Amino acid sequence: MGKTGTAVWDRIDISLKECVAWRFPARSIWVERIDNEWHVLSLPDGGTRGAVRREPVARSQKPDSSLWRHYLHKEIGPVQPVPVLPNKPVVVRPDRSLTLLPGQDALFFLEIPVWFRLCTTVPRRLTIFEEAVVVLSKTWFGDPITGELCYGLATRLHQGIDSVEPSAYLAVCPLSVTNDSEMDLVFEKICLHVENLSVFRSPHRLWTNRLNVVFWGPEQGTQIEIDHNPPGFERELMLFAEAREPAAGWNIRKTFGILKSFTDF
Amino acid sequence: MFFNQIKTWLTSLSPDVLSKGLRIAVTVVVGLFLVRVLAVVTQRYIMRRSTAQRQMIARKAISYTGFVLVVVAVLGELGVKLTALLGAAGILGIAVGFASQTSVSNIISGLFLISEKPFAVGDVIRIGTTTGIIQSIDLLSIKIRTFDNMFVRIPNEKILNSEVTNLTRFPIRRMDITFQVAYGQELSRIYDLLAEIARVNPWSLDEPQPMIIFNDFKESGIEVLFGLWFTQSDFLDLKNSIMKDITTRFAADSVRFASPTRVVRVVEGSLTA
Repeated sequence: MGKTGTAVWDRIDISLKECVAWRFPARSIWVERIDNEWHVLSLPDGGTRGAVRREPVARSQKPDSSLWRHYLHKEIGPVQPVPVLPNKPVVVRPDRSLTLLPGQDALFFLEIPVWFRLCTTVPRRLTIFEEAVVVLSKTWFGDPITGELCYGLATRLHQGIDSVEPSAYLAVCPLSVTNDSEMDLVFEKICLHVENLSVFRSPHRLWTNRLNVVFWGPEQGTQIEIDHNPPGFERELMLFAEAREPAAGWNIRKTFGILKSFTDF
Repeated sequence: MFFNQIKTWLTSLSPDVLSKGLRIAVTVVVGLFLVRVLAVVTQRYIMRRSTAQRQMIARKAISYTGFVLVVVAVLGELGVKLTALLGAAGILGIAVGFASQTSVSNIISGLFLISEKPFAVGDVIRIGTTTGIIQSIDLLSIKIRTFDNMFVRIPNEKILNSEVTNLTRFPIRRMDITFQVAYGQELSRIYDLLAEIARVNPWSLDEPQPMIIFNDFKESGIEVLFGLWFTQSDFLDLKNSIMKDITTRFAADSVRFASPTRVVRVVEGSLTA
């Protein structure tokens, strides 16, 4: 009955008085159907990395907590868990500083923790609740007047997909960076508008759209293109979750945090 | 009985007076209704994307202008000559102006405030010891609701002459916490501990980085300035949690806060007579 891998995102029929738990390394989520209500409990766990499981929980073993939330929904039917990307941009800080020399390009694979969204399927798709399975820190990208609130994510800068462990809660974002300027591009942090990205699913991994970033220089800005096709690194990829805010075409934004405009005191 | 008296009174009036009274009534009712409709339509539809402050100014401008126009129309209906009235108003204005210099000063200050825009409706400001949310900016005064739910009216003239701090103008702010740690402790360990406290606090921003400064040698210890950046909405959460985090972590890691201390050194033989 229990499931692992990306199968934890399969549609599931939870019958009356049945309780099911999704176990992520850093969070556990229990969902139970009682009469006309969905009862949901989400508690943080201490883990950092690991496998994801979905398992039935005996009623006697479900946590006794005052944090259970109750959602009224009269129609009985299967529920659909959906992995969605965070609701704010993510500032990715690689674990090592990498300098892209002028004219060079590189392909990186970044791992972005998804949010757990639970939806009804009958009579139509409604979001019951959603929550981050890994709580990211808050950070500010840009200057204190015109910048934007983002999540901060320290991650490894993978240069090949083989080094990325298959995961059911970390979506792999293929990021192609081209330094089209005459200066070195120090890859210290990059702001990704993940709310514009969709999630694709394979039997082993979750993927986001591929991002193509061209850096022209600090004054000229950065051009970002979202590839709307499934990333071509695995076969049988299916679109699993639409972007929160679909982006239209090419986009020019301040993306690289290479200029520190702060005076700290 | 009462209605009979009114009926008798109305029939005693001449048709001219009756029709004039009716016209005035219609002018007042329809005029004020139109002014109200125009103000509401402007606020809700035409200026729906403007700031609350601009909407309020537009609504008040329409209401006051409309009211004056209705009064002028009624006076015209009553046969009052507006040129004479305006002349009289001029003389009266001078007299009233001398008598109400404070009000005029407030009005002029209000115009400056509206054009300078140091704050807008909905901002949180601090003037002197008063901190609260601006509810309205009028020609004579601004109205503030304090956080303990009190209504405060501050004359515009006073605002123009005072230092006003707008706490919500920028999206992020820094919270500075100052305390003293006792002498004789390793400062680099305290620095690391504070950096860790800031890192794990969910309401403290990673960037801009928290500021940790060993500020001064004080009488009883070393003064530390701990500055954390946060978004406006997280102010209370950060304020409460960070004080708790500091005391908990300092206690767990045996870091001592400074307390007034006196070292008394007794020199041998100095106490003998």
